[in-house]
Amino acid sequence: MSETGTMPAPVYWAGGDSPFAMSWQKLMMWVFLVTDALLFAGFLAAYAFIRLASGSWPEQGEVFNMTLIGVMTFTLITSSATMASAVGAAHRKDLKTATRFVLLTALGGAIFLGMQATEWTQLIHEGARLSGNPWGATAFSSFFFMITGFHGTHVLIGVIILLITAARSRSGTATADGVELAGLYWHFVDLVWVFIFTTFYLI
Amino acid sequence: MEGTISYRTYWLIWVVLLVLTLVMIGIEAMALPTGIAILLLSGAMMTKAALIGGWFMHLKYETRFIVACLVLGTFLTAAFLVFLLVPDGIAANRMAEYPQ
Repeated sequence: MSETGTMPAPVYWAGGDSPFAMSWQKLMMWVFLVTDALLFAGFLAAYAFIRLASGSWPEQGEVFNMTLIGVMTFTLITSSATMASAVGAAHRKDLKTATRFVLLTALGGAIFLGMQATEWTQLIHEGARLSGNPWGATAFSSFFFMITGFHGTHVLIGVIILLITAARSRSGTATADGVELAGLYWHFVDLVWVFIFTTFYLI
Repeated sequence: MEGTISYRTYWLIWVVLLVLTLVMIGIEAMALPTGIAILLLSGAMMTKAALIGGWFMHLKYETRFIVACLVLGTFLTAAFLVFLLVPDGIAANRMAEYPQ
């Protein structure tokens, strides 16, 4: 053990205090995002299993308002672009512009949540429940409420994080790294929606 | 993150993401054969994920080691889940259709 200091450093792993070349806060955020991604991967894999095992499955175009889903997707993608711009502004030390973009992102998130609430209300009025629905396979509505509900909760948490980030940015206490961490979470929410949108609403 | 990405780049990515979304909605509306539709939609989905991860989440500018850990770790585990469950799902469907 005492000879460790005399061993040549491996060329593929320099070690040191930042082997991943990023701050530990950012690394921990990535670890969290990976675990959260695996949670959604589990949901979507379970959804794929149940859908394949079911004899019939409702036609999504007949159940969902695809125009509304399209606008929801547009809103979330746009909010991701405003968040990326906020991070860029924060890295340029332009906290005033960063605050504006973060607030725009939070607004996008709030609009998305409003549209999701509208979608849920419409489907509940049509008879969709966790335990069944008028369109056939019982698991269809169970998975719909579970997957979109978990995603919506992530969006809600994201909006709260963004409002805190905007307040900190406005008061001058936010750092570029702090805005970037909030951005990573928000882009993750958008990324998950890309998968939900494709697998649940389109395929 | 190395350097700072211009606003123009972010909004170009935004345009590409929107175009891809419209293309995906179009594919769904065209009622193509299931296999082809799944292939095209999955390709568009992965392209969108790569754009968001690479540019918006700045993975393009991180070290290859962390990118490999994050992307391969997540996607291999997700793929493992799918390939473990999908054959069982198909088998369960056949058993329901043709009970012994």
